[in-house]
Amino acid sequence: MPTTKENIGNLLDALYLEMLDLIEQQTVCRVNIERLMNNGQLMLAKTRYIQGSQTICSAQLPTENSNTFSALCEVVQQQNDTKISNVEFTSIRHTVDKEKEFVEPMQWFTSLPPSSLRSASELFKKCLDFVLESANIQRELIAVMKHIETLKRHKEITI
Amino acid sequence: MALHSARGKLISVIGDEDTCVGFLLGGVGEINKNRHPNFMVVDKNTPVSEVEDCFRRFVKRDDIDIILINQNCAELIRHVIDAHTSPVPAVLEIPSKDHPYDASKDSILRRARVSFLKAIVISLVCNIWFSFQGMFNPEDLV
Repeated sequence: MPTTKENIGNLLDALYLEMLDLIEQQTVCRVNIERLMNNGQLMLAKTRYIQGSQTICSAQLPTENSNTFSALCEVVQQQNDTKISNVEFTSIRHTVDKEKEFVEPMQWFTSLPPSSLRSASELFKKCLDFVLESANIQRELIAVMKHIETLKRHKEITI
Repeated sequence: MALHSARGKLISVIGDEDTCVGFLLGGVGEINKNRHPNFMVVDKNTPVSEVEDCFRRFVKRDDIDIILINQNCAELIRHVIDAHTSPVPAVLEIPSKDHPYDASKDSILRRARVSFLKAIVISLVCNIWFSFQGMFNPEDLV
């Protein structure tokens, strides 16, 4: 913890600059998420046009009464000392294996998925990468804000 | 993205039909042994209390690390989202088909902006105060 008022001020300046940078990164990330989601939803609409409107709807989604299944895409938290928050999310993807309850989601909608549905699936998979990036930036932003508040309190005590 | 045999934690989704279908196609969906899904489809007839209960349930679950929620759904339960300050599970507000993303409504970005604006205002007031003091030195008036 810095002791002099000048050191605290310099550190606060650096943290505010870092915060601005993170806000910019977050905005870029959200734009990418929005772009990929829009493209994915367009592909879903195309699938509905080809296969009929009832092919892709929430009625096809599994419910509490369906068989249990596990997520193909999961996240793990890893230690990263280069980050202010010290941790970051990384994703892990499991291969489809019915015995281990890893099922292919496209099979809920149709047994022969058209190319537009495959494209939609790929776009949402790419979107998940940006979601993880956005979650990491958000976590960093929260850590920076916490540091700023701590330093402000420390500055008041030092003065 | 790594291919793994170990189990990680889940990404949950609260949103409209297309958002849920899309992310489930991406592979985030799960129905666990207790038959609890990690997603909720919200339509115009879904009561706000149900969205709020689902969000609180997802926050309490220790197998969920990220909650994705459509920004228009997040607006319905803004008080609950603002009260959630813990970094895990991370709550991410995402756009929906009918409602584009608005950064000014995002809980975390709004907090960051307020903190930054506060710092700028304090710095400006201090600068004006010191230059004001410099302009009117009490010794000059004597």
